[in-house]
Amino acid sequence: MDKVCRVFALFLFACCATAASAQEKTGIKQGFELKPGTARILLLEPSVRVGAQSTGGLFEPNADWTAQSKQNIERELVAIQGRLGNAIDRHELDATDSSADLRRYHALFGAVADSVIEYQFFPGNRLPSKKKDKRLFEWSVGPGLRALPALDGYDYILVIRTKDAFGSTGRKLLQFAAAMGGIGVQSGEHVGMAGLIDVRSGDLVWLNADLKMGGDVRTAEGANKRVRQLLEGFPGRGAE
Amino acid sequence: MRKALALAAGLLALAQPCLAEEGYSLPAYTAAYEPRTVDERGLWMDADDYEKLWAGSPTRINDKELNDYVRRVLCQTVGRDRCASVRIYILDIPAFNASMTANGAMSVWSGLLLRVRSEAELGAVLGHEFAHFELRHSLKGFQNRRTTSDVMAWIEVLGSIAQRDVRDAQLSLIGSAYRFDRQQEKDADLLGLRYLGASSYPSRAASEVWQHLMEEADATAAGRKIRRQQRYQAGFFDTHPTELSRADYLLAEAMKIGDTGDAGAKSHYAAIAGQLPRFLASQTKLNDFAGTEYILSGIAATTGWTGELLQARADMFATRANPRDLITATTLYLNAIDAGYRRPETLRGLGLSLIKSGQREEGARYLSEYLEAVPGAPDAKLISFYLPQPTGNPK
Repeated sequence: MDKVCRVFALFLFACCATAASAQEKTGIKQGFELKPGTARILLLEPSVRVGAQSTGGLFEPNADWTAQSKQNIERELVAIQGRLGNAIDRHELDATDSSADLRRYHALFGAVADSVIEYQFFPGNRLPSKKKDKRLFEWSVGPGLRALPALDGYDYILVIRTKDAFGSTGRKLLQFAAAMGGIGVQSGEHVGMAGLIDVRSGDLVWLNADLKMGGDVRTAEGANKRVRQLLEGFPGRGAE
Repeated sequence: MRKALALAAGLLALAQPCLAEEGYSLPAYTAAYEPRTVDERGLWMDADDYEKLWAGSPTRINDKELNDYVRRVLCQTVGRDRCASVRIYILDIPAFNASMTANGAMSVWSGLLLRVRSEAELGAVLGHEFAHFELRHSLKGFQNRRTTSDVMAWIEVLGSIAQRDVRDAQLSLIGSAYRFDRQQEKDADLLGLRYLGASSYPSRAASEVWQHLMEEADATAAGRKIRRQQRYQAGFFDTHPTELSRADYLLAEAMKIGDTGDAGAKSHYAAIAGQLPRFLASQTKLNDFAGTEYILSGIAATTGWTGELLQARADMFATRANPRDLITATTLYLNAIDAGYRRPETLRGLGLSLIKSGQREEGARYLSEYLEAVPGAPDAKLISFYLPQPTGNPK
């Protein structure tokens, strides 16, 4: 009985435990360098999910917020893409024969990036193979990308995923009440990840990922802040 | 005359109280339903994304004939007006399941198509899934989980502040969440049964699905020498009523409807014939000897022991590969060939069984026939190892 309750309590409050503060946010493959004007990059349609966080911590998907945020983020990406140092094309996921594969690689990138956050960006949680050399950044989605016709002629793909759960009024009240009793409850979740993947090897050569991104993507200014944060330190980009 | 007819019709109606009873007519249906609230539109958005993954999944079976068949059975069960709003995705997963998303996408697993024994049984499961859609269960289930977890969160926080033990309250909330799920399943079962009652299929088939599943589970348990576990009462964490209780209440309800009709057993197996070898190959790899035997004899009861079934049974014995199994496997492969089923995999299985039981020359003959049939076979190098080596000095 006791165990059951504890498991559920864990489930409910799992979100409070995840975000320790001393966390890295950027990784780059050792020795990777991208000079401006040397590569062709394909930017895949970003995955954007926006919703609310219920009092109990469930994600409540919101179609209107998502549509609005996606539009905002897409607009900011168009605005910034000329300033990233290399030629960048855009790609709608539904547009080609490879769309089913690209959709899967998009999701796979999300899973790999989750692992990077969990097992590399948290220094205390590093896998043994990542402990020896701190600069080591060896992550990959596998070599299958080069076989996709849609990626012919591209050197890298840029993949962006965001998920925002805005704390509901109930969640904020719970957080407040809990804080009175000295219990930490996190309200809201704002995850963003942007990664550059080598088409030939499938290696993740650059990743920016954070569980606590800034900027309310539902607004134009917020989306601008978010996109700047996502592409901060993008390889091959001159100083601004 | 007209009066007499009306009277006769009235009497007839009295004589068939079951069919005329309000409970067994179908509820009014809104075609082209669109999500309304914020919650519902959000769930549909998620479901749309999820559906795209199904659509492009490598496990999806695109075979047009099979897809047409499943759609025909769904439409025949729930009616043309209802089935028009559903997209069906057949997935190659060797387990008994089907599912429905909030937006009307239905997944049907290959293990389900292998296990149901007639169109009516398939219709019973598809009707159950459709009922989840018609009753908007995704939405109501989500809202119930949210309310429950909201209350649990408050109890947890207030309990900690007041330093009171709240485990009992939490437990009863968890229990209520699972009870809610089970009630939804039962509601879907009963509406699904009403579709069957209104269709040309006999509604008794719904109960038979669960009877056969229990028998299969019993066979598996006996084969693995573990305890059989059919229960009537659902457990605390069960998301569905037990198979036994479903078989029971579905039969009782079907008897109230009291309809009869052609369940379409032969036509079911004719419709899946093209994919049967693939389904069977996935099933035999599950390493569930007794359970698979049960499924095979269930199919053979309708179709007789066809070459495909003999091949599958032979594969089971060849995989277990005790000396006595190899004799059985060899015999079954030969029976399959006699039945006119001489596929490359038959030759391969027969050749390997013979070689493993010591008949190298005979076996090698079938294996070279296999390699001739499939020169680029992925295991060609491995198989050629069993063939007589050219003389010389092998390393």
